[in-house]
Amino acid sequence: MENYILPPESLTNEAIAARLTASARNGIEDGSVKKKNLVYLELNGCSGNIISLLNGANPDFEYMMGSMVNLVYSNSLMAAEGEQAIDRLIKAMDEDYILAVEGAVALRDNGLYNIIGSWQGKPLTGLEAAKMLGEKASHILAVGACATHGGVSAARPNPSQSVGLQEVLPDKDMIKLPGCPVHPDWFLGTLAHILLYGDPETDNLGRPLMFYSTLIHDRCPRRPFFDRGIFAEKLGDKTCLFKLGCRGPVTRTDCPTRQWNGHVNWPIGDDTPCIGCAQFGFPDAMAPFISYDTTRVVKDE
Amino acid sequence: MQNIRMLQQQVNSLISQAKHDIYTISVTSDPTAKQLRLQRLWDALTSIQFLNELLASHAISSISASSNGPAQPTMPASQPLPAPAAYPELTLPNQTFTIQELSNYDGKNGRPAYVAVGGVVYDVTNNRAWAAATHFGLVSGKDYTQEFASCHAGQKSILATLPVIGRLV
Repeated sequence: MENYILPPESLTNEAIAARLTASARNGIEDGSVKKKNLVYLELNGCSGNIISLLNGANPDFEYMMGSMVNLVYSNSLMAAEGEQAIDRLIKAMDEDYILAVEGAVALRDNGLYNIIGSWQGKPLTGLEAAKMLGEKASHILAVGACATHGGVSAARPNPSQSVGLQEVLPDKDMIKLPGCPVHPDWFLGTLAHILLYGDPETDNLGRPLMFYSTLIHDRCPRRPFFDRGIFAEKLGDKTCLFKLGCRGPVTRTDCPTRQWNGHVNWPIGDDTPCIGCAQFGFPDAMAPFISYDTTRVVKDE
Repeated sequence: MQNIRMLQQQVNSLISQAKHDIYTISVTSDPTAKQLRLQRLWDALTSIQFLNELLASHAISSISASSNGPAQPTMPASQPLPAPAAYPELTLPNQTFTIQELSNYDGKNGRPAYVAVGGVVYDVTNNRAWAAATHFGLVSGKDYTQEFASCHAGQKSILATLPVIGRLV
């Protein structure tokens, strides 16, 4: 806390990221920071988090690959395929590695609803892979809504009986990065923190405080409208979206200040309510995402 | 015109407060004080932004009024605040509700949103955690004694912030 950087040093996202990446690069060059192996496992989900990660800017994905970690396995991004790919996944366990998992773990029929490859002639289920790799990993990151608490994969009626990663690894410490998808900065920033300083400080739900400590509502540029009871009546209105079902008041992320797409925009900045995608229980607990039939002020009453 | 003067004064006082906060942040070494000042700076900036919108809508409406044309619809910001008297029943504190009566207060079509916990009926219409009269999959107009106990056990302070409407019988 005492090492705050105060003006006149620039505090923009880009400037902070530049300082972080510079210190990481220096650390790698002088040998005080070691590049670690990263296994990025995709289980029962839509691969939205890895697509989001490819949009990362602070640092970008290329930098992560080249300088921060050795990406030894990724369902989507590696060149190897079939048994050869799974072979690399198994061999990764011989060394120290950080495990990042996106997607939920499908439990139904012993995990057969989510097969990620075949190993020694038998199908390798996501359930087996999560348990096997989770037991040996030095750090575990649950990336995105599905991995942290089941998310969309576990939404009612949940035919695959999907659960979050912690359910199959109940005794392991893991850092949880909810969001649908996760912001590239939340993932890359947490990864950088692990390499530079070790595990980041987390709340009682395992979320890094540096990204998940503040309610969207408390940093919302439309907060003065809420405080004065001025509410939007339809999408596109520039006032508070609370009456349409905005979940900003219960969702803890830094979207209002960090923003998305290389710090260009975010949902409320584009006149749509927050749907609470980074909230545990999303999507079922956050429904309805939008409501036109609610407690708005009726003038003729 | 008087309104515009008042808004201008508010903006000016917020700016002086912000300047003072910036000075304090740059000299203090107490991290808690820094956090508080940063928070207040943020709030001051959002309020300035809001007042700026108000001033702009004032300016637009005065231009359209002076040009004799039909008045353009302005931002809702210039509307008066909704009066609490819009729902007369809100002012009766010891009203009693049956569970069927409570179900009418579901927050739909402009109706207020009430929920019961431990036999007391609370108004959640404007509660920040009850957007669209729903809260983590729960809809208003029901008795949530069990649900409150399972999620917020021992957190009676949450209930203390809600306006009490009456009792569930």
